[in-house]
Amino acid sequence: MADVVFSSWGGKVVDNRQGGEPQPAVFKLPENYLDEGRIGAFMGWDGLIIYDREVDVVAMAAEYMKRVQEKYCCAKCTPGKRGTRVMMDTLARIVAGQGQEADLDTLAGLADLLENCKCTLCMTAARPVLDSVKHFRGDYLAFIRGERQVKAAKAYHEKLTAPCTDRCPAHIDIPAYVEEIKDYRFEEALDTIRRNMPIAAVCGRVCPHPCEKSCRRALVDEPISIMVLKRVPSDHEWMHHLQPPMKPKAPTGKKVIVVGAGPAGLTCAYYMALEGHQVKIIDMLSEPGGTVAVGIPDYRMPRHLLQREADIVAALGVEIQYGVKLGRDVTLAQLKEQYDAVFLGTGAFKSKPMGVEGEDQGYEGFSTGGIHYLRAVALGEPIKTPKRVVVVGGGNTAIDCVRVALREGAEESILLYRRTRKEMPAEPYEVDDAEEEGVKFVFLALPTKLITENNKIVGIEVQKMELGEPDASGRRSPQPVPGSEYILPCDLVIPAIGQDPDLDYLDQGEYGIKKTRWNSIVTHGGTMMTDNEGVFAGGDCEYGAMTVVLAVGHGRRAARVMHRYLTEGKAYLNEEDAMEDIINGLGAFDKNEKVGLKGGLHREHQPKVHGAERIANYEEIELAMPESQAVREAERCLRCYRVGMLAVNG
Amino acid sequence: MSHSHTDTQITLTIDGKRAQVAAGATILDAAESVGVRIPTLCYLKKISPTGACRICVVEVAGADKTMTACNTRAVDGMEITTQSEKLSAIRRQVVELLLVNHPLDCPVCDAGGECDLQDVCYSQDVTSQPFAAEDVNAPTIDHWPLIQQVPNRCILCEKCVKVCYEVIGSGALSVNEKGDRAFIDKDLAKCEFCGNCVQVCPTGTMISKPFKFKARPWELRKTASVCTLCPAHCQVSYESKHGKVLRVTSADGVTINDGNLCVGGFFGHGYLNSDRRLTAPLLDGQPASWEAALGRVASELARIRDEAGGQALAGLAAGHLTNEEGSLFQKLFRVALGSSNLDSPMRFGLLRAVKTLRTQLGLTTASAPLETIGRAGAILVFGCDPTSEAPAVDWQVQLAHRKRDTKLVVADPRRIKLAGQAEIFLQYRPGSEVQLAGALAKLIVAKGQADLAWLGQFVGNQADLLAYLDGIDLAAACAASGVDQALLEEAADHLGSAASVAVIFGHAVTQAAGAEDSVAALINLALVSGALQQHGGIFPVGEQGNAFGLLTAGVCADFLPGFEPAAAGADAAGILAGIENGTIKALYLAGCNPLLEFPENRRWKAALAKLQLLVVQDVLESELTALAGVVLPGAAGAEKSGSLTALDGRVSPLAKAVDPPGEARADLAILADLFAALSGKPAPSEAALRSELAGQQQPSTPTSSRLQGAAPAVIAPPAAELRLLIGKCPFHFGAATCFSPANLELAPGGAILVNPADAARLGVADGGLLKVTGPAGTASGKALLTNKVPAGLLTASPNFADLNIQQIMPGGGNCVAVTAVKG
Repeated sequence: MADVVFSSWGGKVVDNRQGGEPQPAVFKLPENYLDEGRIGAFMGWDGLIIYDREVDVVAMAAEYMKRVQEKYCCAKCTPGKRGTRVMMDTLARIVAGQGQEADLDTLAGLADLLENCKCTLCMTAARPVLDSVKHFRGDYLAFIRGERQVKAAKAYHEKLTAPCTDRCPAHIDIPAYVEEIKDYRFEEALDTIRRNMPIAAVCGRVCPHPCEKSCRRALVDEPISIMVLKRVPSDHEWMHHLQPPMKPKAPTGKKVIVVGAGPAGLTCAYYMALEGHQVKIIDMLSEPGGTVAVGIPDYRMPRHLLQREADIVAALGVEIQYGVKLGRDVTLAQLKEQYDAVFLGTGAFKSKPMGVEGEDQGYEGFSTGGIHYLRAVALGEPIKTPKRVVVVGGGNTAIDCVRVALREGAEESILLYRRTRKEMPAEPYEVDDAEEEGVKFVFLALPTKLITENNKIVGIEVQKMELGEPDASGRRSPQPVPGSEYILPCDLVIPAIGQDPDLDYLDQGEYGIKKTRWNSIVTHGGTMMTDNEGVFAGGDCEYGAMTVVLAVGHGRRAARVMHRYLTEGKAYLNEEDAMEDIINGLGAFDKNEKVGLKGGLHREHQPKVHGAERIANYEEIELAMPESQAVREAERCLRCYRVGMLAVNG
Repeated sequence: MSHSHTDTQITLTIDGKRAQVAAGATILDAAESVGVRIPTLCYLKKISPTGACRICVVEVAGADKTMTACNTRAVDGMEITTQSEKLSAIRRQVVELLLVNHPLDCPVCDAGGECDLQDVCYSQDVTSQPFAAEDVNAPTIDHWPLIQQVPNRCILCEKCVKVCYEVIGSGALSVNEKGDRAFIDKDLAKCEFCGNCVQVCPTGTMISKPFKFKARPWELRKTASVCTLCPAHCQVSYESKHGKVLRVTSADGVTINDGNLCVGGFFGHGYLNSDRRLTAPLLDGQPASWEAALGRVASELARIRDEAGGQALAGLAAGHLTNEEGSLFQKLFRVALGSSNLDSPMRFGLLRAVKTLRTQLGLTTASAPLETIGRAGAILVFGCDPTSEAPAVDWQVQLAHRKRDTKLVVADPRRIKLAGQAEIFLQYRPGSEVQLAGALAKLIVAKGQADLAWLGQFVGNQADLLAYLDGIDLAAACAASGVDQALLEEAADHLGSAASVAVIFGHAVTQAAGAEDSVAALINLALVSGALQQHGGIFPVGEQGNAFGLLTAGVCADFLPGFEPAAAGADAAGILAGIENGTIKALYLAGCNPLLEFPENRRWKAALAKLQLLVVQDVLESELTALAGVVLPGAAGAEKSGSLTALDGRVSPLAKAVDPPGEARADLAILADLFAALSGKPAPSEAALRSELAGQQQPSTPTSSRLQGAAPAVIAPPAAELRLLIGKCPFHFGAATCFSPANLELAPGGAILVNPADAARLGVADGGLLKVTGPAGTASGKALLTNKVPAGLLTASPNFADLNIQQIMPGGGNCVAVTAVKG
């Protein structure tokens, strides 16, 4: 990493211009911008970072303000619209040698005034300019006196982002759709979401919403309910029987095969179809959605809505063939031969072993895994859930299993987890929901042995645990309490401790596609392309079992690169992709920021079906949020837009 | 549900004053409640707060930054400061930025004198301009009809954008571009030309072309009155100079229409100043004195009465008559002339609905005030295009559906604007109304969503009603209406599960053959869906400006004032037959033009030639005035006093803003002279007539168990490849606006709306001539290609004399099988 020459990032000034012992400052920025050259400086919402003392800070500030005003300023507030315009023109005059010293006061005064903007876009754009005036006044004065000529960088690259958008793996323009909801423009909000995410009905329901962890409103009171606000416009379209407005571009003549109709595959197919490519999806299941369909129960994600999302993709001209499994019914070699590009979105359908004595014996009453149990129930396969069920694990799949077991007639449904409730990776509200429904929890308990009679499960031996020191994940690691073993009687044990991708199909030929040591597919540099040219991969099979929204992000990025691969013959990242990744590395959220606003407003919660009423069936539990309530929630958004720009030197 | 905060109160202090407001209120609301005035510019109460101008910034204790009062919700315990040096400096600088490159054309700017930007400059003491930027200088947009946009004057407050979208529901306006180049642009195809963008514009950015350069605002004399063009009766201010109405405005917050106007209210007044106004009495086509003209009318009427009896005389009234004028008109016939041959165009529409409403519910207007629609839990709009027929009804629907989570079900043969906004659009075939409404009612009962206890208490024949509904064949209803059963069930569920329901029906129901049965079916639906319980309502939308008032006043063969049954005279059909067979010899038309408004009007035209006396009392020239023996120039709504009755029974006073043109007189004065001459007694005064009518005011809320369900007959619409339905043009209101240049700019003449598929089959292009032949005749007009009408259905508006679509219609219908050829 190059040394920082100057930085005002985050309000902390590091100035090494005068030489001497360099003060350290480390930012998660790459040294180079793609293969274009070295990054000389970065200018953005939190200040200035300069790596190369040759960077013309004044020229960069002028260019930054021009791009903010001409490309991003929404014009919807007076100081933003006119203030950045006056700043842009003032900076332009200065670099043209026609400035006056008083202009520097104007810039500083406007930067102050812009703190009163409607949103943070123009407000934060003024900050690095103010920093430059403060710390590079000499350079400004040199321009003003006509002693200096502009020395532009080789290139400038900028990107509009927001903490929530940056944190979302699909990089949805969250402030835009939230504002559209605030303005009662639900159809436009859905258009905005669909620019990055075709399955709003899904991610509006079951997304773990990392975006809300980066919501600046949380620094004022509570985070915006970003996920539910994504569901609202999708419900609006569905409940109003509106036809989605998307129209594919003219046919390109290129053929694409997508393996897997899960979130990654549907997303890739959607964006490729919109580009005019002829897309076909194959899936081993009998319905769309992959893990979402057969791994998430209907009370959380109604499958008719998943089907509707797939129908929307199909309406773009995408053919979906079910019951076809890669490796069983067709080989990758055959697909490569028949299609111009392949996307692998095969998910992670192999249940991880518990590492418990007897689990490979095929006992009656021992499930091959939570994901298989859920799938069998979802597909209506003839499985019978007995009276006492023990599910081992602490994630969402484990929670889904205990709740489904109750609905399938179990009298007792017990979740066994080796740490405490606090460490459970499952969403807290789902744990609460499970409890409300009557699920029993046994925490700090590790299964050690299956207890059987006549090859049939009758119980599980459990060892008590206690929490020790925090491990690498920051969670306190459980330690067994010697001699604490006891037997928990039960008729069915379901291990739900994780899934791995099943990549056997890669071993059927010399494809040269590398796997990670976690048995997932290796892709390169954010292009989602594997070592086999024209074969892309994304979602759980690429990352390991992760989230729907990550799969969507992968599917979209893969489609963007694949489109270039098909039309330009080269798989590469463009400016938007590259800047998306660079800013994601740097991070756009500062959890210690003092926002300076008075909060006190609670976030809105959607209505919900309660307790006993709901365990009798698989009807959706979380009900549609009334639009007036969604508008009120959207009004809380602080619209934390920000623009980052970097200078590339030769 | 957790989304109502309004039950809890919070307390905060504003400039040291303690304010208590409902949770959810903004700082601005709270300040207003304790009399603290915070300056605003982009704030407009009826739209969602925008927060664009930043002038309402305040300081909040505990916050380093300022916050905007208009869009920050107040929180318990907040301490607010609204005036400080810091705030003044911010406000001043913001205004200074607004003024960067703002043109210095205030002297010729239309908003000069009523410009919020001028006012805020003054109040914030902005006297200099420290900022400079290159002038974007966007060119003035002049190619939009009726409205000019001057981007240089725009402060981007978005009031116009939001009123257009949130209040009017048109969504034609948007902010384009980024940064300083941004301005307000328009999708002309969506524009309703309601002029509300002009009304709410705080500067001279959105300008009414017809008003531009006509007057300075302070020169205008304002007269608070009521718009007479449709039965909603919006409150308006007629603004006049030198005796001419130059513009119409309405004030937010104080009018029942909350300041909103439509293309009729805002632009339609142009007819008042038309050079085709009738300005002097005519005798046989020649100008004459009032004395001579009235003398001829009185003497001829008296002669015919004396020779052939009162039954040889007939009167038809409509349009611009007030309640008092309607009352006196029928007195002239019933009392002075001894004739009950009275009728109006409502015979072919609203009257049929009112008769059924009266029989089953004891109602003659809507069952609840218009605002009830805005608060309903679900709304059914059935055979009605509120956007065209009564825009104020549309605004209530917009408010409810957009902002208050109200479910909207639209049933109409045409893809009207509301169809695109509704949860459910039931595009039915004309003629299937009884089955469709019946099926909805049946489903509500079948799902257990009807309030049987209420029905038992309030509906006299509840058992019969339920038995009738039970017998309805859903599959047959779907087949007849062409509506998908799943969609129908979803619609029924919206209506059945709502806490309150508003049922709105309009022209496509009331003007249709079998309207009595359709309305009966809708009443059944209203009963089982709870629309006649508290917070609900049934809303008939009538055709004429004062339709409800004239019916209540007894301008009708079968009812005396107050809907007392009358010794039946001849109704419109009887009058036509009477003229044809010579028994009716004199016809008095007060604001009524059968040659345009009545079906079968070729028969009327031939018949009129047989009359011994044709008197036409009206405000504008027409084919009729050329045929009339005597023409009496009357006064339009802005030119007289009196009262009107709206569709919800609301009675509003008119105020005279200007004098009628030339020698034209208020219609009441004309009728009073004739009444006196023919009865020998002085006519009752306007005040006396009004108080007499007040005693006859009909109940507007059904109160007793006399409510009745009915078993309406199913109408069997003729199978036809192509049918034509009468459907009102959204840019015109009756014949009057056909004399308003502004409205003519939008729709210069009659057009026949054709689905592109039909147009292709008929070989007619957009704008090409189409000749349609129906049972009563042939009409030809320009084809207008649009997907708003389904294949197999044409529509045409009835108010255009050039097309005169009513000439092809048989009596008593609005939809007929037609043949069409390119022509």
